[in-house]
Order: sequence, then C-alpha cells, then structure tokens
Amino acid sequence: MYPEQLLENISLLDKTRDFRLNESFPALSEEKKKDLLETFHPDFKSAAFRTLRVGVNKGDRTVHEIADLLEAFSSFDYKEIDFENPDIETDVLVLGGGGAGITAALFAESAGAKVVLATKLRLGNSNTIMALGGMQASVDEKDSPVKHFADTMVAGQFKSRKELVRVMVDDGPRIVKWLLELGVNFDRDENGNLLTKRAGGSSAPRILSIGDYTGLNIIKILKDEIRNRENIEILEFSPAIELTTNEFGECNGAVLFDLERKRFFLVKAKAVVLATGGSGRLHIQGFQTSNNFGATGDAIVLAYRAGARLEGLDSFQYHPTGIVYPDHMVGVLITEAIRSLGAHLVNSKGERFVNELETRDVVSAAMIRECEEGRGVKTPSGRVGVWLDTPVLTLKHGKGFLMKKFPALYRMFKRVKIDIEKRPLLVYPTLHYQNGGVLIDEKGETTVKNLFVAGEAAGGIHGKNRLMGNSLLDIFVFGRRAGLAAARRRYKDAGKQTLKHVDRYYNELRNLRITTVAKTPRIFQEFIVVK
Amino acid sequence: MPEKKYVSIFLEGRKIKVPEGYTVIEALWDTGHDIKRGVGCLSGLCGACAIAYLEPGGKRVKFGLGCQTIVKEGMNITVMPFFPSRTAHYKISQMEKPIEKLKEIYPELYMCQSCGFCSVACPEWINVSKVMSFLKDGEYEKATEMMLDCILCGLCASRCPRGIAPQIISLFVQRAIEKERPLPENLKKRLAELEDLKYEELWAEILKMDENRLKEFCENERKERV
Repeated sequence: MYPEQLLENISLLDKTRDFRLNESFPALSEEKKKDLLETFHPDFKSAAFRTLRVGVNKGDRTVHEIADLLEAFSSFDYKEIDFENPDIETDVLVLGGGGAGITAALFAESAGAKVVLATKLRLGNSNTIMALGGMQASVDEKDSPVKHFADTMVAGQFKSRKELVRVMVDDGPRIVKWLLELGVNFDRDENGNLLTKRAGGSSAPRILSIGDYTGLNIIKILKDEIRNRENIEILEFSPAIELTTNEFGECNGAVLFDLERKRFFLVKAKAVVLATGGSGRLHIQGFQTSNNFGATGDAIVLAYRAGARLEGLDSFQYHPTGIVYPDHMVGVLITEAIRSLGAHLVNSKGERFVNELETRDVVSAAMIRECEEGRGVKTPSGRVGVWLDTPVLTLKHGKGFLMKKFPALYRMFKRVKIDIEKRPLLVYPTLHYQNGGVLIDEKGETTVKNLFVAGEAAGGIHGKNRLMGNSLLDIFVFGRRAGLAAARRRYKDAGKQTLKHVDRYYNELRNLRITTVAKTPRIFQEFIVVK
Repeated sequence: MPEKKYVSIFLEGRKIKVPEGYTVIEALWDTGHDIKRGVGCLSGLCGACAIAYLEPGGKRVKFGLGCQTIVKEGMNITVMPFFPSRTAHYKISQMEKPIEKLKEIYPELYMCQSCGFCSVACPEWINVSKVMSFLKDGEYEKATEMMLDCILCGLCASRCPRGIAPQIISLFVQRAIEKERPLPENLKKRLAELEDLKYEELWAEILKMDENRLKEFCENERKERV
C-alpha cells in the first residue's frame, strides 16, 4: 500500500495516462544519446573513479569502491595457521556455491577429481537464482553461434575478448544439452522444440527460459545433482579469505573461515576455481543493488593479491528498473519485458521522458537526469525514483493481462498490497552486474597458474555492457571449462602452501605509504539499516 | 527527520523494541543477532529465511519469509533457516526411465493424506497439497508446473504430520519427466552442425580480423534480423 504522499502523485499519473497511451516518443539520436550518457551515466562520472596504485593493474581506472577494496589489508591475522598441515587436502577446491561454482564442481568430479566446494552462505544462495529472465543460446534454426557472437560483441562495445566470446557462444548449445540431460525443464513449444524469446540487443530469438523463474529452477536441479555425487564435499558458511601460493607463485589452495566456529581452516588443492560472484553489495557510487547478501567482490581481492590480472572493472551494469518503495523490496528488479510490452516511465509531473525501449544504459541515464533535475518522486524514507506505469498495460491489453503474463511479479506486489494492474511501481537504476573481473583464458585460467575463475567474478567476456541472458550462459560455459581444466591438474605436486604473495602485496602498499582503515575481503557488508 | 516510531515484538521468545517498518531480518540485525544462516538474496527468492510467527490476537501460527515480512506490534517470531527433509540418493543421468522409480525412491509420497497443512505454510502461495495429489495420481506435468515457483524453503515439510518433504519429491519428478522428453529438434540440428564443424572456418577468419573489420562483420551479421 502506498502512503498518502505517493498516492497524491499517483493521481497525477492517472490523469495523464490516456494522453500518454497515444503519445509516441522518438528514439534519441546517436549524438544525444552520447551526451546523455556522458552527463548522467555512472560509468562516466569521473569523480567516482581513480587509478589503481598497486598490483598488476597499476594505473588502470576503476571506481573508488573497488580501488578501496584492492588497496587494503586483511582484517585477519594469519599467524596461527600451520601451513605445513592443511585441514583438508583435495584435487580441486571450488570457491563459491552459485551456478558457476556448482557447475565447475560437477565437471571436475565427472573428470575423476576429488572436489571440495566451499561457499559463504548456503549452497545455491547466489545471484544465479535471481536470474529470472532466461539464458541465451543459439538453438533457433535461423539463428547461429556467429550471430550470437556478433550481438555480444556489439553490446560490449567491442571491449570483450573475442576468443572468450567465441567459446561462450560455441559451447552454448552443448551446455543446453547438458542441462536438459540433468533434467532442467526449459520451456518448449507445441512441437517439442525449445522455446526461444527475444531480448533487447539480440538479432534473433535466443532466450531460453523456465517460466519467469529460470535461474531458480536450474539451481534447484544442480543442487539436487551435486548432493548425489560422492566425490564432492560441500562446506557451507565457509568463505575463502585468502588464496595460498607455492614457491613458484602458483595457486595451491585457500584459507577459509568458518563463520560459525569463527576459526580458520586451510585447504590444500592442486587447482582452485574461484567463483564467488560479483560486487553489487559494495553499493558502488551509493547505488542500491539487486545482488545477494554475499556479493562483496571477494574474488577480485583474493585473485589480485595472488597476482592475477583484472580487466574491465571500470564498467558496471545498472538495471533501469529496481524497486525503490516499499523499503524492504529496494533493489528487487522488474523485468525488462514489462517495458518491451509498453509500460511507461513517468516523472513526478506525470510526463514520459525517454523512449522506454532504449538500451539499459540510456534509460538509466535518463532516469538519473529526471531525479537529479528535481523531477523525481520522493519516498517517506528519502529515496527518489520515477514511476514505472504498469496500469497503462491494463488500459492497453485489458484487465487480468499483467496477472496472467507475470504471475510471480503480480503476486510479489499483491503481498504488499500493491495491485500492479491499478498502481504503478516506483523505480530507480539499480547496480546489477560487474561487467569486468579477473581476466581468464579459454580454459577459465587466470594469469596465475592453477587459479581458475568462472561466473561474474571473471572478466573479459562482456566488455562494457552485458547482453541480457548471457550471464546465465557464461556461468555454465566457463564453470564447465574451469572445472575440467582444474581436474587435469591433479597429477602434479601442489608444493608448499604460503602467503608470500600477500606479504609482497602488503609491502607494495606500505612502500607507497598507503594506509587504510578498510579491511578486505569484506565477506559481509556491515549492515546499516537506513530508514 | 520524522521521529522514529517503535514496535514491541517477541523475537525468538524475547520481548524487544525495534523501529517500525523493519523486516524480520532487519529486526534481527538491529537487535544484535549476527545471523548469516537465515539470510540470502534479500528479495524473497532463495528460501533461506523462513519464519514462523503469531500475530497478536491471531489463533494460529503463520509462515513467511523473514526478508519480506514487516514486523508488527506484538508479533511473536522465530526463524527457521532449515528443516530436516529426507533426500534419496539416485543418479538420474544413469537411469533409463527415472519416473518409474518414483515409488521406490520416495515411497512416503503415497502416505500423504491431503490434509492441506503444507499449502497453508507455503510463502509462495503454492497449493502444495494439490501438487501432492497430482503426484500421487501420476499427473506429473501439472505438479511440476505448479512447483516452478518453489524456493525450497522447506516450510511445507515442516508442517507435514507424516514427515514428507514435498519440495524434494517434486524436484525428483521435475527432473525425471524432463528425461522422458526427446531432445528438442532445433537443438539437435544445431548440435549436428557443431559436430560437423560447420562454423570452424568462419571462426578462424573472425579471430584473425582486426577491430575495424570485426566491427563491420558484426554489424553485417546483425543486419539480418530473424
């Protein structure tokens, strides 16, 4: 239920709805788009960025939040750890229990390796379950992997590594087969073909889905599969807090922290797959986020200290329509499909201000402009947003349309007594995805030997902007590749476990007189309830 | 800044004041509970934060998700991050007709008496009892369709007087019936193309292109919208 002050503004919205329904809003010219992005998109806000002073990527530009994360010491004192006697020895250590981590573990085990999977929260608690829309894979007859490649490269503004994009699109159909064989029930058409939907920025229908809960259902099935595998040990509530390296600087395990016993334990492994996801919970530039509670960018801290190269951490994806009201739903995303069907974005004056079908970055920038220039709508707790006018769809398509087309969404708001057929939703751009990450090659390996990365933590795949549905694909493609390659390293000696790379990194910080109160990896963002 | 209003609630048995408008999870954090167990996505999807609560004047216990439930004056709440549910062991990839093994793998399904307690508990408003009936009657597609929204919070299992875990049984069925379906034709065709290395020459060419040539190629490839 909306409070009085918002209802007042909604009544203004109701008055302009009929007019807006027949109003055509032109697309922006390339020049105007560029101007809008450079003035209002967070990626162009130069005060939010600085150059890194330490490590492999010294001199590269990134946001303060990431730089603070990397230019910091750990809060843990590792003196009490006996590096001669690891608590657990295994072939492959997988860090992270989302889609990428579970996939890596499954494939490593299939290849004959003994696997330990450690995760910060519960197995499966990840951004994968929140991938509602679907997964890209070129299975349509008129589509092709090459078309998928072209769409991905264009979306990423040609900053993606083409060899990585190539393996992603090429493996796509094979990954679909693997998922089907595990029992993942992708939607099909009346002939039993996989149903493919269109997504913004794609030149062919390529989105595979399971109702409007795609990621959730895949994770449920992967969880069911992994618990039936004998050679995978799962450690929950045990985030990795540092990697270990041997005398040659190769990765050979990790220090984990048992959150409940509050003590360290050491895992030694022949290879490590780092799949701990992105960094939305750092609330970059103060943005609200759609990310899960554990997404604090741990992977980039751990890998960077171990000497791995990062790429593309100057670019983040802001999803235009994240909820601003009610407070407990802040950051919950409203699918793009609503806008594709014709829902309007409307400011506090009851006016549209952008063609809603522009790309994510342009729409976000336009929304920020409205709010910064005083045409936003303020909530009782002080947040600002613009309206996503869903009732216009009821006007257009009739009563019951939204309820039928988006049952999960309809129910979600029904619970808080907002009927999306009658009332609009208040939204603001929401930090959604870390476009860059730890640079990998086609095997999923980083510039540090025996350290593999998969999923959102990985960099080089999505360039400056990720295409919708490509993240759900990349976690399986690179999870599989990393798992298989990691399993092949099991025949060699892991060497002695040390934290020499951390000492070296700390020396670099100290030599530059960098002192900081920030301690990383963050593990959990200190929770501050802002009301 | 408007003055903060407070509500009194019972949190795991302890009477305590928290600011109005907090979710159960926020109330727990606010009162110093360092909980990690019952927290996940914070958007009502991961099923980590199941709770049971009694409202003042309410006659029976209600169920919900801690990140989506706002505390109200006099509410009596406990968190249930986990409930033991029996999971059978099976290797679905090695099973010929897995659905035929349902009776063997989860015999307790047939002990269900459709009492409906499970449906009352579901925070996703799934009629779990109906799902169980469908499963017993062999209407597997219908059951699976209804369970797509299941977030595995386990609240249904916690209410079952027979100790059955509907969310786990239906997950097996969801997988088993997919295995019955033939591989989609459109996927088969694409896989055959890949097997024949249809795109290999083109890939070799693409990987050699300089940036300008690549841009031109990609724009061209995208021109033809399917």
